[in-house]
Amino acid sequence: MRSLSIVPAMLVLSGSLTFACCQWLIYSYAPTEATMGLTQKIFYIHLPLAWWALFSFFLVFVGSVSYLLKRAPGADRLCAAAAETGVLLSGLALVTGTLWARKAWGVWWTWDPRLTTTLIMWFIYAGYLVLRGLNPPPQRKSLVCAVVGIAAFLDVPLVFVSARIWRSIHPAVFAAKDGGLEPEMKLTALGCVVSFGLFWAGLLWLRKRQLDLRDRLDTLASAAQQQ
Amino acid sequence: MLRLTLAVARKDLSLTLWRGNGLMQALLLGLLIFFVFSLSQEVGENLSPQSAAAVFWLSSTFCQVLIFNQLYALEEVNNSRLGLLLSPAPIPAVWLGKAIAGFILLLFAQLLFLPAAVVFLGQSLHGPLPPAVAILLLADTGMCALGSLLGALAQGQAARESLLSIVLFPLLTPLLLAGIGVGAQIFGNPSPNGPGAWMGIACAFDAIFLATGLLLFSFIYAGEE
Repeated sequence: MRSLSIVPAMLVLSGSLTFACCQWLIYSYAPTEATMGLTQKIFYIHLPLAWWALFSFFLVFVGSVSYLLKRAPGADRLCAAAAETGVLLSGLALVTGTLWARKAWGVWWTWDPRLTTTLIMWFIYAGYLVLRGLNPPPQRKSLVCAVVGIAAFLDVPLVFVSARIWRSIHPAVFAAKDGGLEPEMKLTALGCVVSFGLFWAGLLWLRKRQLDLRDRLDTLASAAQQQ
Repeated sequence: MLRLTLAVARKDLSLTLWRGNGLMQALLLGLLIFFVFSLSQEVGENLSPQSAAAVFWLSSTFCQVLIFNQLYALEEVNNSRLGLLLSPAPIPAVWLGKAIAGFILLLFAQLLFLPAAVVFLGQSLHGPLPPAVAILLLADTGMCALGSLLGALAQGQAARESLLSIVLFPLLTPLLLAGIGVGAQIFGNPSPNGPGAWMGIACAFDAIFLATGLLLFSFIYAGEE
């Protein structure tokens, strides 16, 4: 039997260690924001959570297209792992976002495009996970989930634009012409994004491997039952 | 393909309207939502135009879920789905046919919901009607394109309605915002931006999900349970 790769565990470990180092950047290197004070530090956790959640959902889209084209079960399991990771990270992004909103805007929730898009994505992919938890024949489930995975990601830009027309008060941190952030803050944020990325990749890989092993065990069990 | 599409739509409309409960369940649910929301008003008080528009689209969305469940349940008995799959119609014709049937049924239901909004929620029509009719048709087109695509995913599943609702509702958010935005203007809450931006969103949604439905429906509408 093949031994399991240690790469995912190493990724999780290195992500955790680098994120621990980022704490120094967050609390000592990056300046404290003038109006929000220490609460602004939430941003350094919130941003990577939101970005990697979005990337997870993009992976669901890519995996879904790949499954429809090649019918590879591995692509379907990648979608499952990415959707679970994305829902977890976007849920945490929503929690940190509401904490930020309370301090910055005086409300727990506001219909800002980015917050709204994150919430709607969370709803869509939580529904997608409910769908994955059902018990139709495996191939049919994979097909249905692939179709929903594609429709869900195509909807994201529309949700964002419609929520922006609805109303917006979110700060543009990277897109703003003047930068929106001090250079030290920007460097710290990028450090957090990279370290979270390592952690995310390890988590995704581990979950995908779990699903691969479960699938193999299910196949062996059904083969044993047939004999 | 168009002839077969219309045949599927005609079959679904005949079976829905002239057999069993027809559209009654969907209509009653929609009207009940209006009634329940009317309880939120004090005596002599009216719901704000935006809230009334939100209730209108909420009723429409629930109604749409029931309509598409009903349309796809038509083929659940006696393995009729296999018959439909074996017919010479291309599979996307089934999607389009059901979308057209759903569109007509939803529009019919909304013709009843509009007076219900006036009566139960104390609204009156203020704004220009052409943009209101346009956004109604555009939003219904998108809702039916997506509803017809995802209606098939719940086939053979228990608790079809709740399953379809949790998958469909969040995906419909852009259309619901567009519908509520323009609906509020029609009910007397004018916006400086007018309905133009919402029309654009609704058109983009329709284009994306009409294409998606046409391309992807064949993958999920299959013979197995």
